Amino acid sequence: MRGFPLPIHLFSVTRIGVTMQRTTHRSRLLARPVAVALAAAVALTASSCAKSEDDASGDKKPSAAADAGQKVVTPKPGSKTCTIEAYGGKKIDLEDATVGFSQSEKEANPFRIAETQSIKDEAARRGVKLLTANAQSQFSKQISDVQDLLAKGADLLVIAPLNSDGWDPVLQAAAAKKVPIVTIDRKINATACKDYVSFIASDFVEQGRRAADQMIEATGGKGEVAILLGSAGNNVTTERTKGFKERVAEKAPGLKVVFEQTGDFTREKGQQVTEQLIQSKPGIKGIYAENDEMGLGAVAALKGAGKKAGDVKIVTVDGTRNAVQGVVDGWISGVIESNPRFGPLAFQTLDTFTQGKEVPQDIVIQDSAYDADNAEQDLGKAY
Amino acid sequence: MAPPAEVLAVRGLSKTFPGVRALDDVDLTLHPGEVHALIGENGAGKSTLIKLLTGVHRPDAGDIVFQGSAVSFATPLDAQKAGISTIYQEVNLIPLLSVARNLFLGREPRNRFGLLDFARMHREAEEALGAYGVRVDVRRPLRTLGVGAQQMVALARAVASEARIVIMDEPTSSLEPREVETLFSVIRRLRDDGIAVIYVSHRLDELYAVCDTVTVLRDGRRVHHGRLADLDRLSLVSTMLGRELGEVRSEGLTKFTGDHHAADTDPVLEARDLTVPHQLHGVSVSIRPGEVVGLGGLLGSGRTETAKAISGALATSSGRVTVAGVPLRGGSTPAAIRAGISLLPEDRKSEGIVPGLSVRENISLAVLPRLSRFGLVSEARVDSIVDTFIERLRIKASSPQQKVGELSGGNQQKVLLARWLAMNPKVLLLDEPTRGIDVGAKAEVQKLVDELAADGLGVLLISSDLEELIEGSDRVVVLKDGAVVGELTGDEVTEDKLMRTIAGHAPDRDAVEEAATDG
Amino acid sequence: MAEATLKTVPLDRTRVLRWLQTYGVYAGVALLLVVNIVITPHFLSAENFRTQAVQVAPVIIVALGMALVIGTEGVDLSVGAVMALAASVTALYLGYGLLPALLVVAVFAAGAGLANGALVAFVGVQPIVATLALMVGGRGLALVLLPQLEDLRNPALASLGSGDVLGVPYLILIAAVLALLVAFVVRRTTFGRQLLAIGDSRPAAQLAGLPVRRVLIVVYVVCALLAAVAGVLATARLQASDPTSLGNLMELSAITAVVVGGTPLTGGRVNIAGTVAGAVLIQLLTATLIKHDLPPSWTQIAQAIVIVCAVYAARGRGKR
Repeated sequence: MRGFPLPIHLFSVTRIGVTMQRTTHRSRLLARPVAVALAAAVALTASSCAKSEDDASGDKKPSAAADAGQKVVTPKPGSKTCTIEAYGGKKIDLEDATVGFSQSEKEANPFRIAETQSIKDEAARRGVKLLTANAQSQFSKQISDVQDLLAKGADLLVIAPLNSDGWDPVLQAAAAKKVPIVTIDRKINATACKDYVSFIASDFVEQGRRAADQMIEATGGKGEVAILLGSAGNNVTTERTKGFKERVAEKAPGLKVVFEQTGDFTREKGQQVTEQLIQSKPGIKGIYAENDEMGLGAVAALKGAGKKAGDVKIVTVDGTRNAVQGVVDGWISGVIESNPRFGPLAFQTLDTFTQGKEVPQDIVIQDSAYDADNAEQDLGKAY
Repeated sequence: MAPPAEVLAVRGLSKTFPGVRALDDVDLTLHPGEVHALIGENGAGKSTLIKLLTGVHRPDAGDIVFQGSAVSFATPLDAQKAGISTIYQEVNLIPLLSVARNLFLGREPRNRFGLLDFARMHREAEEALGAYGVRVDVRRPLRTLGVGAQQMVALARAVASEARIVIMDEPTSSLEPREVETLFSVIRRLRDDGIAVIYVSHRLDELYAVCDTVTVLRDGRRVHHGRLADLDRLSLVSTMLGRELGEVRSEGLTKFTGDHHAADTDPVLEARDLTVPHQLHGVSVSIRPGEVVGLGGLLGSGRTETAKAISGALATSSGRVTVAGVPLRGGSTPAAIRAGISLLPEDRKSEGIVPGLSVRENISLAVLPRLSRFGLVSEARVDSIVDTFIERLRIKASSPQQKVGELSGGNQQKVLLARWLAMNPKVLLLDEPTRGIDVGAKAEVQKLVDELAADGLGVLLISSDLEELIEGSDRVVVLKDGAVVGELTGDEVTEDKLMRTIAGHAPDRDAVEEAATDG
Repeated sequence: MAEATLKTVPLDRTRVLRWLQTYGVYAGVALLLVVNIVITPHFLSAENFRTQAVQVAPVIIVALGMALVIGTEGVDLSVGAVMALAASVTALYLGYGLLPALLVVAVFAAGAGLANGALVAFVGVQPIVATLALMVGGRGLALVLLPQLEDLRNPALASLGSGDVLGVPYLILIAAVLALLVAFVVRRTTFGRQLLAIGDSRPAAQLAGLPVRRVLIVVYVVCALLAAVAGVLATARLQASDPTSLGNLMELSAITAVVVGGTPLTGGRVNIAGTVAGAVLIQLLTATLIKHDLPPSWTQIAQAIVIVCAVYAARGRGKR
């Protein structure tokens, strides 16, 4: 499975090289092949004398306080729940327990950074012992990560899965130890309340609907709009599209979706596609970008074409700091948040469950939204 | 006691490739326990014959009768299964698998669960190889072994898979003397076990050391067969080369004038003790300005290697080359070229011309830096040089822009000569300059060589064409098995003398000598 | 009758193939232009051509380097990673100003090219394998240096990305100048001819005393530098450094442009005008499909068809 071992080595070692805090890792670095050490040295020198634009200001980190106050969307009556009796296992006190957290992707985008941070903050707030692992976007590594966490004595697991399938070996190992599992942001294809306890995530269809509401409000419900789709074959893409189109059809028949092209969730592609769009359809009223990056790409394209803020209404989903700043600046009409702060909700669920009370099997995290009215004051909440 | 029935009988075998009659009505008979030498110069048809026997190609006409029944192998694997194994120069086993696995590939011992029985495999592999004088850890990957040892594994595998005939194609070309000895003792064991061997080699001493019978091929035909002991070395060489001994030859078959150019001056090129492992063993050649020195010898005697070692294209382990008294850094073609050495390589198509580039670019290729300033090519200067040489060498191309790949062989060769003459070389190394080109172009090239020598160039001439070599050279250095075995000067430069030198001399290599006396 | 057809058909096909090899890519560009003028609203405007040119400029710049590498019978898979590396290094050093940052980018790119070239020329690793290492490792390094997208506000960088001279964006000017420069190098310099000779027959070039290793290393360094230029320009246009996605699949776009443009993968020939036209062809194709809002999968299918056509047309070229 390890097709290209080089970058992984490179990554981990250079990371250590950059921070260079723990001497135990230093000796391992010396033991690695020369080439890798060399790469580490390159990274080290590069970052030690580097000077980026923001070094002076250093205002980028969102405050942890932004985490406060998280609500569960009220579960619909009749939705399934789970209890410790049904799941098997014994009651424990969360405060004395060890929680293992397995992150799927490397923390290279704001969502993952905020997600991991939120779990860590909540564990610290509750005084729970937390073990973390990061699979670096490799599924095989995530499987062994989780097995590792179990071996290290995790009593409870929070998993952000990279894939939905292929979890059987881990689930069996966890079941043998009766370790409750909560999955966040992506679902595992397995039986709830048997293989895992609960699944906590945003409702992407609902995000699409709320984006449509914002778009209808911004455009007045009339005219032609475009959609910048996410990566093809991704459930986030399909669900955010579905919700948006449903709501537009239902509430504003005057609003027509005339253009749907993929921007692959990247800023560059969002920019390129928008450039083509405004060439061929100069009368476009609004652009719905299925993530913030594509929306910011659209902003860059509009700026490049000499448009003014507000000429074309842009609505995006995610709620990153850059996009919310775009709302403040007037380029973006609205941002629907996709909440990465699973910490409080995940721990609350585990707490309730281990006390023996019932918890819902599917928990929807509440997403907030930013528009011209609240963007400036809530900028600190954006991640 | 009646002679044992023949294991292989080949009758009237013929094969034509587009434009070439590679094999023409060839017979070959092989008895159990017979070691049969198959010899011939380049293009004689040896490899075609082997490929027909082993199912690589199918014959156009003729029969192959193996162990009493006519056979037609579809693939080399079929031939191998039937009992004809081939050991090539390059070992064709799986380098990453262990020695034992290679030895038992396809017929691994299994235990009662149907799994590989490694213990038994390793034990039997050690025993089998021990018999061939190879003592290694059979668990190691094959590639960690030396070439000789790998060849022994291939041989052991062939024997163990119950081969009736083992074909060895130049088996000793990369072996150490000690390994050659081991190989010979193995061949003798095969003979005692009633296995027939077809042995292809150019090393006469080896042939006489192990072979009983011989078939000589020339131009696709069988020109001699019989007991090797009945044919002395000189006759063998003359049969191979197609020259009758003592035959009176009329002069003037080639375009060489026959004048001797060499002045009594210091040599322009001096190569001393050139040694390349397995290929050259201390070869020394010197050439004076205006002298054409021929390199004589059979195929594989080290002629091409000598030329390449002088020109820096082949790295030497020892020895040195001086040009006009200045020592040359070894192993660097650019350095040799700067010093004034130019090599016209034997393989014109793949090592000489750049087929996709034009005549103009091919001619100017080496001299280009001299026609450039700050890396920018002066097109005017290139044109003038190209035009000069196209005219002087009478290169026939539709225009200087024509691709060299589209020209005839003779014109390609002239383009290469032009490339080097544009460099004003001191020494020209010509490796088979007239091979594969038509008669007219051949004469022109020969005349040109003469003229160049008359102009004071030192020329080293390698040719399989004996007439060309004898008439073109002022002096001939004779090579055999990578070593100089004689030098013909003045009146000695005759075909007769050349063949005697090739055939007669005892080998320089002690090991082979030992092996020879051993047999 | 039958004989006559048998004789004429292959003759015609060879002629058509030869024509396609030389002019197919230009004909394709012309055809797409005509079709778009007819069916695409607002196509015939300066603004539109400017957009297409600006979008294709980085691809052209990368493809120029790729054409040189392919001319030596190699391939460079690491161009996308080098673009990402250039993006992250730019962001990292922009605090010193644009010019110093660009110098550091050049150093990194040259290092990457040197690594590729040394592996190919000295170690003798196959180009596809040698550059694969850096394709994966280079992006890894880029992400280590800059783990996530960073917005850049340097005014000099911004004007590099969106400024113009007499209405012609810098991006287009830079691409045009580089294309002319590379074409000149291939046609008129010793280096260019040596490169072609090495690509056509490496053993012959070696025996002719050409500095084979030096030429190979320089080619890979030039290719990496051009990729870095493209990376910086793309970053300047985006006004953000995005090492995660910048240059993704760029190696394939560049190889496609080169091959469609009539440069054979077997080396020994470099067609710079064709390479530029190849990149433009793919750009126009993509633009057409996007402007008519056809599903994205169509774009991929259309690209695949163009590549198959190009490879079919190039089939005869391999034979000598």
